[in-house]
Amino acid sequence: MNFSRKELIETDATMNQMRNAVYVLVRLMEKNKIQNSKERLRKMGQNIARTYINYWKPTEVVTLANLKDVITTIYQKILNSTVSIEINEVDKLLNVQDYRCALCKYHYDDLEIAGCEVLLGLVSEYVTLISNESSESSSVFLEPYEIVESRAYGNKKCLQVFKYKIRKEG
Amino acid sequence: MGAFQWLMKRITKIFGHSTNGLFYTLLYREILKEVNEITNNEEESLIILREIGKKAALESCERHSNIFKFMPGNPKKVLDYFEVLWVVVFGRELDEYNYEEIHKEGSKYNDYVLKISKCPICAGYGDNIEDTFEFNKLNDNKSEGLACGLCGMLESVANYILKIKRNDYRIQIIEQDCITKGGNCLQFICKIHDYNEWKELMASNIQQKKVLKKFFKESIEEEEIVQETKLDIFDKLQDFISIDKLDEYLNEPLETIKDKVRDFIKDKLNMDPEHFFDYFRNYEDDMIRIIGYLGTHLLNEYGGLLEKFLKNEWFAKIFGYIFKQLKEMTLLFIPLDVIRDYNELLVNFLKGLAPIEMVENVKKFTGKDTITYIFEGAQIALENLGIDFSELKENVWEELKAERENGLVSSETSTIDRTREKVPQIISIIQQFLMIINDILTLPIRVLISESHYGLKTAINSVISEEEGLYGSIRERFDNIFDQIQEIRK
Repeated sequence: MNFSRKELIETDATMNQMRNAVYVLVRLMEKNKIQNSKERLRKMGQNIARTYINYWKPTEVVTLANLKDVITTIYQKILNSTVSIEINEVDKLLNVQDYRCALCKYHYDDLEIAGCEVLLGLVSEYVTLISNESSESSSVFLEPYEIVESRAYGNKKCLQVFKYKIRKEG
Repeated sequence: MGAFQWLMKRITKIFGHSTNGLFYTLLYREILKEVNEITNNEEESLIILREIGKKAALESCERHSNIFKFMPGNPKKVLDYFEVLWVVVFGRELDEYNYEEIHKEGSKYNDYVLKISKCPICAGYGDNIEDTFEFNKLNDNKSEGLACGLCGMLESVANYILKIKRNDYRIQIIEQDCITKGGNCLQFICKIHDYNEWKELMASNIQQKKVLKKFFKESIEEEEIVQETKLDIFDKLQDFISIDKLDEYLNEPLETIKDKVRDFIKDKLNMDPEHFFDYFRNYEDDMIRIIGYLGTHLLNEYGGLLEKFLKNEWFAKIFGYIFKQLKEMTLLFIPLDVIRDYNELLVNFLKGLAPIEMVENVKKFTGKDTITYIFEGAQIALENLGIDFSELKENVWEELKAERENGLVSSETSTIDRTREKVPQIISIIQQFLMIINDILTLPIRVLISESHYGLKTAINSVISEEEGLYGSIRERFDNIFDQIQEIRK
């Protein structure tokens, strides 16, 4: 009897080679003239979230009150990363700083895409899926915005930015 | 599990960045799906995924080449250590597997078939609607399965080790059976080829070459083996000291180890041992300092791990405090008899290797002198490796207090909390190290008693069992230390 996906949640796997594999894939996309590789990476993250949520859910409701905690939990439980989060209520942006990003470690001169685009898709989709299932009027929805800084660009940390909206505000 | 396997598994797990196993598996699935978006051909996608695995693993190997310098350089041994390879590549334990050796007529090495009963890559594939890669579209029955990328990674690491060890054999690892494709287990066949055979094999695989050229837009050739002429001292040392031989060393009596040192000095330095040690005559104190110095640097040469460890300011401080405490406490608390045992062990080691006059001079040292010289040498080496002893406080408690008062730690609550969370682990690491030191202090008398009859392993183990003996105890403590470091790194 093989492992189940639920069992895999209890295990750890070293990311070194898989992290490199993401960048080999990006090079492959570029060589094959894939125009929207950034969106493709985000889509990968969204697909991961759609499968993952069948086996683990950090909470039933996401509102502005617990948004930081939910995001921190997702980063910690799935990616083994400790992040710091800031909410910009004026522009409705959520800034996540990750000094140990699971998908970015080295600076690649030949690439202009950071591996953590995948995480932008993963985290935003996770929160959105939870909120879709919730009837709470102040549920928060996230969308990928941009990777402002990345270790893959030569920065010291990754700064992932999400756009959020609240259900009752439409 | 041998000492080498245990050590490699723990080290690779600590220095890799780990994520949740399910995230890993799903990311792997998504990479395959994206490749298939490009190729629109399932067979070609699997060929590309294998190549992605190979390239990704090669990049990692090149970044951490020092670690692989001390891996076994014999193709058969590389396969013997498949469990370690799996951990290096996959970061998790290999659960249940078995080997089958298939005799290959006229060949130096046989083929090996590995059957792994549980495959994390295939886990639950097909249970979710996002599992869209269709294996039933594969027409070629020679096509590999879902783990082909992993296969490429394993092959790449195995061949990197052989290359770096200047071995002219190569290993081909093919996925023969895949659970997702309906197989009972994950099955690999490992074939060992000499370099010419390997080149022919690569050249003959026209279909694969065509696919790789089509999508990677470059021809992918294995680079020629370049025999390096310049060997550093540590390349030479590898012939003599290799961590895959740890178990062998532990099984040998002191006299056999002395014979090896004698042969090494003769072979590698072209000198008679007595002539070699004569250089240190009347400078015996410096020689003992050099033992401390070189011992510490030698530890670091196992992949530069000590240096990497000490690059972290916190770890450097912890190590510095442990070292300081050890230096002070050794002479205060260890009975002189125990220190004398160590001195006697050194004298016994030098007898027959060094000139008589030198042995007599070493005999004149008190145990206290020997310990002080070794610590002095080790301290110089640790300073080279990154510990700034001048910056250390009187003790570790003052350090913790100072960090909180002088504002070096961010005032952001979460950061302070995180630092506080680490304190129990740091204290636990210090405790475990001190316990190891206690364990080691009982070693010399055991060695002296057993040296003429049994191996070092006899001295290290208790009469009850290996697990309950000194070896088991030290290993358990190191397991605890590795666990605590892993916790801190989270």
